[in-house]
Amino acid sequence: MTRLVPTAEMTLGPFFPREFAEGANDLARGAAGEVIEVTGRVAELDGRPLDNVVLEIWQADAGGRLDNPAFPGWGRAATNAQGEYRFRTIRPGAIAGRAPHINFLILYSGLMRQLQTVMFFGTSGDPVLQAVDASRRHRLIGAPVGPNAYRFDIRLRGGEETPFFDD
Amino acid sequence: MPIAIERRDPLTQAQGVEAGYAQTARRWPAQPLVRRPHSVSELSGPRVRDRLPELRGDLAGYGAKRALGQLIRVRVRVVDEDGAPLPGTVVEAWHCNAAGKYIHPNDTHDAPVDPNFYGAARMVAGDSGLVELRTIKPGAYPVPDTNGWWRPPHVHFSVWGRVWLSRLVTQMFFPGEPLNEADAILMAIRDPEARNRCVARLVPSRTNELSYDYQLVVRGRKASAPMP
Repeated sequence: MTRLVPTAEMTLGPFFPREFAEGANDLARGAAGEVIEVTGRVAELDGRPLDNVVLEIWQADAGGRLDNPAFPGWGRAATNAQGEYRFRTIRPGAIAGRAPHINFLILYSGLMRQLQTVMFFGTSGDPVLQAVDASRRHRLIGAPVGPNAYRFDIRLRGGEETPFFDD
Repeated sequence: MPIAIERRDPLTQAQGVEAGYAQTARRWPAQPLVRRPHSVSELSGPRVRDRLPELRGDLAGYGAKRALGQLIRVRVRVVDEDGAPLPGTVVEAWHCNAAGKYIHPNDTHDAPVDPNFYGAARMVAGDSGLVELRTIKPGAYPVPDTNGWWRPPHVHFSVWGRVWLSRLVTQMFFPGEPLNEADAILMAIRDPEARNRCVARLVPSRTNELSYDYQLVVRGRKASAPMP
């Protein structure tokens, strides 16, 4: 039986077209559920914010469904010169066996491969959150910063480094 | 159809920090990556096609509007690890112009802009998982703040597979380019065969375009049936 080796991943580079990075960060339009805003800052070693980092998210709808034709579940944003990104979406419901969460994928110059992390809404039991050392779990919890607004900062390296997953 | 994702092979995939690419040591996590169990959340995937409109598959143009450079046509086939094609998958491609300049405002390289070249394409794969990109061959360019590192001509590709974990972002190289062997990004792939698969294959052409074939293999294969 055919078995092909996956193509080697390579860095996105610094020049991902603006046209691609823009216009896909609002998942909430026309979708049922509680609209939330997720913002954050992406920084490298020493906390320096990074411009034009591409973030993609994948999440369930308000009812915990991943195959709702009326809700895309997927979005893309890029950071500005201050390292800030913003998504407008729907608060995800729980999927069987999982706590509500938003999957994040990060692509950037200097990252030889994609990085994967997850934002949770609380510390309640989730097998992916449990896989992370207890001392680092708080880095995966979105911080409420206003009505229906969450802050999820991502530190790629050093200091309060965000936990990333290997799959 | 349930999909299985196996762990990355360190010989055929780059590791995090590369000596020849200084930014990797500022950006790749210092802590080891965490292994996690997979659920339907990671093993299902978005219908990105509903979200991203098809944009253009011809970056070269015609006549007075033709971009400068060697005309090329790249035929890209998108398959999974079983070799099964992925019709309907979205393929994004972007690259610099023939002089080595990107359309991006952050590109400070002192090379001319080509008013007839806009280096961003988005295509949807047909029934055989194929897309065709008509464009011009990108130039080489120096990487700022390095000790003489030049990027060889390359085309960036971004593609979605069947599930969230099969997302693939990579670069395609051209055969016979001396800069390939000194490129910190291509050479980060330790296995020479895996590296060679990142180089397009020149195929005979009777048109005025140099033709290349290329294959993108996204992660994921049919999961074997669960034990009874």
